[in-house]
Amino acid sequence: MSPPLTRSTVISAFLRSFLIQGSWNYRTMMGNGFAFAMLPALKRMFGDDPEALDASLRRHLNHFNVHPYLSGLALGAALRLEADGTDAETVTRFKMAIRGPLGGLGDALVWATWLPALSMLALALWWVGTPGWMTVVFFLVLYNAGHLALRVWGFRTGLREGRAVAQALTRANLVNIHERLQEAATVMLGLLVGVALASPTGLVHTGLLWAALGMLAFVVGLKIGHRIWRPTAIAVVTAIAILSTWGIVT
Amino acid sequence: MELLYIGLLGGLLALDTTSVGQFMFSRPLVAGAITGWVLGDLSLGLTIGVVLETYMLVSFPSGGARFPDGTTATVVAVAAASVVPSAGALPLAVGAGLLWGQVGGWSVTTLRKLNGRLVPESSDPSVTVHRVTLVQLSSVLLDFLRGVIVTVVGAGLGRLVVSALADSWPLAEAPSLGLLVVGGAVSVGILLHDLGGFRKRRVLFVAGLALGIIGARFL
Repeated sequence: MSPPLTRSTVISAFLRSFLIQGSWNYRTMMGNGFAFAMLPALKRMFGDDPEALDASLRRHLNHFNVHPYLSGLALGAALRLEADGTDAETVTRFKMAIRGPLGGLGDALVWATWLPALSMLALALWWVGTPGWMTVVFFLVLYNAGHLALRVWGFRTGLREGRAVAQALTRANLVNIHERLQEAATVMLGLLVGVALASPTGLVHTGLLWAALGMLAFVVGLKIGHRIWRPTAIAVVTAIAILSTWGIVT
Repeated sequence: MELLYIGLLGGLLALDTTSVGQFMFSRPLVAGAITGWVLGDLSLGLTIGVVLETYMLVSFPSGGARFPDGTTATVVAVAAASVVPSAGALPLAVGAGLLWGQVGGWSVTTLRKLNGRLVPESSDPSVTVHRVTLVQLSSVLLDFLRGVIVTVVGAGLGRLVVSALADSWPLAEAPSLGLLVVGGAVSVGILLHDLGGFRKRRVLFVAGLALGIIGARFL
């Protein structure tokens, strides 16, 4: 670790990264949050020179947005660049270059696969009668094991690699991990449909008509729901509720 | 007084949605269980959490996205359902929660616009270390207050609606849950589309389905 970066400033920056979206807005997105997370290190590096501190603070206030769990990668790399005395323009260009890939990768890896896969596994556990508190604890522990591992890995990699984080990302093969997670999530989805149909409290036991309606709603979601999911779900529920008030569905 | 406690809980859980950490305490499954436990009915909270989690499977807390606020929606739904022990309370409370989730989503968007006025830009002459820190922490506090207000108002209105309509609900308990699950099936279908679609993923989907059906029979 180079002299400007002490263990305490690095830990402080990492902990502050958990608040990076606190002031999220449509103008600078997480710009203020990024500067807030950089502050302890910037004060340590430029504390004796108010003008340098002011300039460094301003360059990290600019518009910035990445996936929050991978924000540590950008933060660690920016800390490394600042500690190495990299010129301001290079730091700014580096941040602009990584924000798109880190945003897209994080969304695909976490929001579109890791989170729904574990949500569906937890829901399936509930349907088969696992005690409620155990289902919730299982979900939280497993989800956050992956979440925190990604944050720690990202921050350490950024701090170690600096401008070379792109190569580190390629070596980590996150795209391949995303594909495997998509496959796992698909199995979880099938599992959830299976237990929601066949468990003792499932739709088949409520009545075969309910099971058929459930499968129909599933197909409707698959075919057209991605365009208008909320209105579709509301329309399905409303139609069945109206049918039930007429006694057609009981 | 109970509404105030529920509001404080809603505010704390809402912070987890995007502002602080994102440890997923804010997901309906977890928020529902915690609210149910606080109100003395873990089972009810978990049932509502399961239903709303299914609806929200395709709703991600992505920073830039505009999404319904599933956290306050869940707290509101559990608080509303807990007032009347009848079959109609569950579906009506879930409906109230889903509607209130849209209001919560609007409040998130409004707060983000307000944040946009508070945060300094790099060209701003008044930028100081102190101001950056103050704005960051104030925004987190505002998000907490947003969660409290949205939850208190939503839970109050939700309880009124459920109390007034629960007795005239036409379905028994099991079909009521069935109705909600059918609505959730739309979200599950959408998720399969997002994961690559049935044609591309049919082998894995069918394998999971078989595993689920067999597991449900034996567990």
